[in-house]
Amino acid sequence: MGKKEIEFQIKWKTDLPYNYSIGKLAVKFFEELKENKSIMGSKCPKCGKVHMPPRAVCADCLIEMKLEDMVELSPRGTLEGFTVVNYPFIDPTTGGMRPFPYGYGIFKLDGADTYMMHFVNETDHTKFKIGQRVEAVFKEKREGNIGDIPYFRIIREG
Amino acid sequence: MPKNNVAIVGIGQTKFRSKRRDVNIPEMIYEAVKMALDDAQMEPKDIDAILIGNMDHFEGINFSEMWCGIDAAPGYLKPVVKIATGGTTGSSLGICGYYNIASGIYKKILVVGWEKLNEGGATTGIITAFDPVWERPSLAGALGPLALMANMYAAKYGITSEQAAKVTVKNRSNAANNPFAHLQMPNITLDYVMNSQMISYPLRLHDCCPQSEGACAVIYANEVEAKKVTDNPAWFKGVSTAHYYTFGTDDIMYNLPTATIASKKLYKKVGIKDPVKDLDVAEIYEPTSWSELSWTEALGFVELGGGGKLLDEGITQMSGELPVNPSGGVLSTNPIGATALVRFAEAAIQVMGRGGKRQVPDVETALGMGFGGSLWTELAILGKDPSPLR
Amino acid sequence: MDKVAIVGCAQTKYEAEKIDLTISELVFEVVKKLHNELGITNDDVGCVITGSNDFNDGRTIANMAIQDAVGSVRKAESRVSGDGAFAYVYGAMRILSGEYDTVLVVSHSKCSEGDQFLINNSIFDPFYQRHLGLDQISSAGLMANMYMSKYGITEAQAANVVTKNRKNAINNPYAHLQNKVSIDDVLNSPMLAYPLKELDFPPYSDGAVAMLLTNEENAKKFTDTPVWLKGYASCTDAYYLGHRTMTDLIGLEYAAKEAFKMAEIKDPIKELDVAEVFEAFSVHELMIYEALGFCGKGEGGKFIESGETQIDGSIPVNPSGGVLSSNVAMANGLIRVAEIALQLMDKAEKRQISEANTGLAYGMNGICSQGNCVLIFGGE
Repeated sequence: MGKKEIEFQIKWKTDLPYNYSIGKLAVKFFEELKENKSIMGSKCPKCGKVHMPPRAVCADCLIEMKLEDMVELSPRGTLEGFTVVNYPFIDPTTGGMRPFPYGYGIFKLDGADTYMMHFVNETDHTKFKIGQRVEAVFKEKREGNIGDIPYFRIIREG
Repeated sequence: MPKNNVAIVGIGQTKFRSKRRDVNIPEMIYEAVKMALDDAQMEPKDIDAILIGNMDHFEGINFSEMWCGIDAAPGYLKPVVKIATGGTTGSSLGICGYYNIASGIYKKILVVGWEKLNEGGATTGIITAFDPVWERPSLAGALGPLALMANMYAAKYGITSEQAAKVTVKNRSNAANNPFAHLQMPNITLDYVMNSQMISYPLRLHDCCPQSEGACAVIYANEVEAKKVTDNPAWFKGVSTAHYYTFGTDDIMYNLPTATIASKKLYKKVGIKDPVKDLDVAEIYEPTSWSELSWTEALGFVELGGGGKLLDEGITQMSGELPVNPSGGVLSTNPIGATALVRFAEAAIQVMGRGGKRQVPDVETALGMGFGGSLWTELAILGKDPSPLR
Repeated sequence: MDKVAIVGCAQTKYEAEKIDLTISELVFEVVKKLHNELGITNDDVGCVITGSNDFNDGRTIANMAIQDAVGSVRKAESRVSGDGAFAYVYGAMRILSGEYDTVLVVSHSKCSEGDQFLINNSIFDPFYQRHLGLDQISSAGLMANMYMSKYGITEAQAANVVTKNRKNAINNPYAHLQNKVSIDDVLNSPMLAYPLKELDFPPYSDGAVAMLLTNEENAKKFTDTPVWLKGYASCTDAYYLGHRTMTDLIGLEYAAKEAFKMAEIKDPIKELDVAEVFEAFSVHELMIYEALGFCGKGEGGKFIESGETQIDGSIPVNPSGGVLSSNVAMANGLIRVAEIALQLMDKAEKRQISEANTGLAYGMNGICSQGNCVLIFGGE
């Protein structure tokens, strides 16, 4: 007979919107990316370390990097590590599931002293190799955010 | 040595599980709290202060300590403070507890780490730990960067998937001796791990830690108070912490530099010359099987690149010279806010000789480790007395 | 208790929206300022304790964003998730343990980046309270209503807190709101949560504060006027609003009693020269007077009318302008500590209380004084 099942859970869903300040250096980075397909890092005026992504503080020297400390980097780099993400999860930036599988790599752009991670356009891990050269692929219509480089591609000779 | 020596006198853990649908958050935490109080033969009123922590975003509750510190722990009309630092939350709590007693400000405190992360979304929450401009759009939770680390580590030193898989086999069969562990697999085989699905190359499903729900409660006391309740406490010989750059990718990721920095500091303080000889057991924080191999190098158990060899030689097995993770480690149980505190608690259990089936014989000195954030390390060394070895 | 000193502090100007600064840059500003003022480098800092909140920053492990800025690379850093006064306490514990000579304590908030209603509503449990839409403002309304009804306090009496603090803020170069308001301005402002109106509440501000702590041996290396911790206590009231005593701040009362005992203070008004308290809304400050023992229960309204808490009174409260003038969510308690330190160092400039030798700072966690931290400082 109809006995109502006890529910042990309640559901709660809420959007938590934020407006993150990105700082002057990021504003310049995205301007250059959008207008000139140019990738910029920040160079510490004291120790000379070139940081990608650019940021306002050199952590080793604890001094400020300003707009005039930004330097252009090559869109090419050497792959130091890679993986192919193959599991589902909710993307906090969209609220929906992020499509998978996707290639993901860590590399240093020529000219930078720090590494960065980004999408790489390969979903077969056997086709990756540490040491491959990668190159930024730019969107035709750029908007001034990191999506303007949808992925890096592996430069395959021949 | 600090101004006041610090002892662990009571420990409580819940039986960790994937989903504790039978209890709400305070009820779950209370299980561990009650167990710790009974263990220390203390009443709620005996506790001077509460330290409690979890990751707010995983359960979607802001200032969770204001609720749980009162409803699940004896925090009413007492000090209640939250320490929360990501994967290192448990060890940060454990270390804050150390300073609460070492400073002389409090005499007996309760330290609780907990997580009920399947009520929310851990991977989604973890992604928000990273920079919204540069990192979030591509980052895949904790496993993405851990996979990259494993990939680079394997390539740099020639570590094989099989060696990594052996870590899972070791830890999850160890977990069968631990009544609290989440994944207890006494009959686990290498094939089971090697045949599991590729989650994020080179990490297979069983190279990765689970997501567990549960709580761990530890009661600390100073020397005078410890003597009143037990003649077998575990004493802190020392703690250390090392943090790193905001962007985890600023430096190489195939080693763990902060573990090297923190362990060097701590070994010097505690008088440890050769960790494999001087330590009797280690509970380290291995979010993936590959991590355990790499962390044993960073902690100085073996030279850089020798993690696979150390495992192959059996040194970190239960029967070896320095058993690592007799509790099953993080690969068997991972309730994020509690995980690192469980490492300290399990190290204490070993020192106290209360490990039952997972007890390593004749433990005098034990290491506990926390890991998280942008590749940070926190360490504690516990022993039968608070003095340095030498 | 052994001795622990504050030897320097730095604050940003508090503003509604520091849109051009990332949180890292905001924190770096005060860290750098502090290093420069004390003539130190990062090598002189033993470890760092920070205070922040994930929901406020919109970032899990919020302290990860500021590692570079606080100089914690290769060092120890830990984060208190809560009001900055509690971060001060943890920093002091690290000094008192004897294991560190110097500790940098930093706290920040950028209220402009998040939705304050949602952030505060999330403090309430999802079973019974959250869907009532409770937040700091509505809870304050409930508390004010119950307190004022019980003791016959009037809205006009409470408005005196606002006029006092907003006037004081004019002397504080860091304060966010630096313009006077009148009793009528307060009484005529839109009702937000009866009986509290818009001007009974603080603004939301962006800002950061940093200070350096050290032990007795090293204090004189940094300053001739170190500020010593004399008394500390913390006490937490119940969680559910229905379990709380909404008419009296009993958590604060307990904490104050303990802190005064530790500092050997028997008569707070006589022995304290200045107080900086976390007044989350106008009526709150009246309740705080009573809990601190400045006046009897229910006499908060009369006490403010007596003028004793004005800057020329016997116990000036919030010469900085208080939270009603600058509300930097997670940093408020540490700002109170910084302001007391400045008073005791004789560096408070236009807002200086003359011959300030003993001060009280009060920081608060959660909703309406659920978590309380009372700190007593002395110049000797």
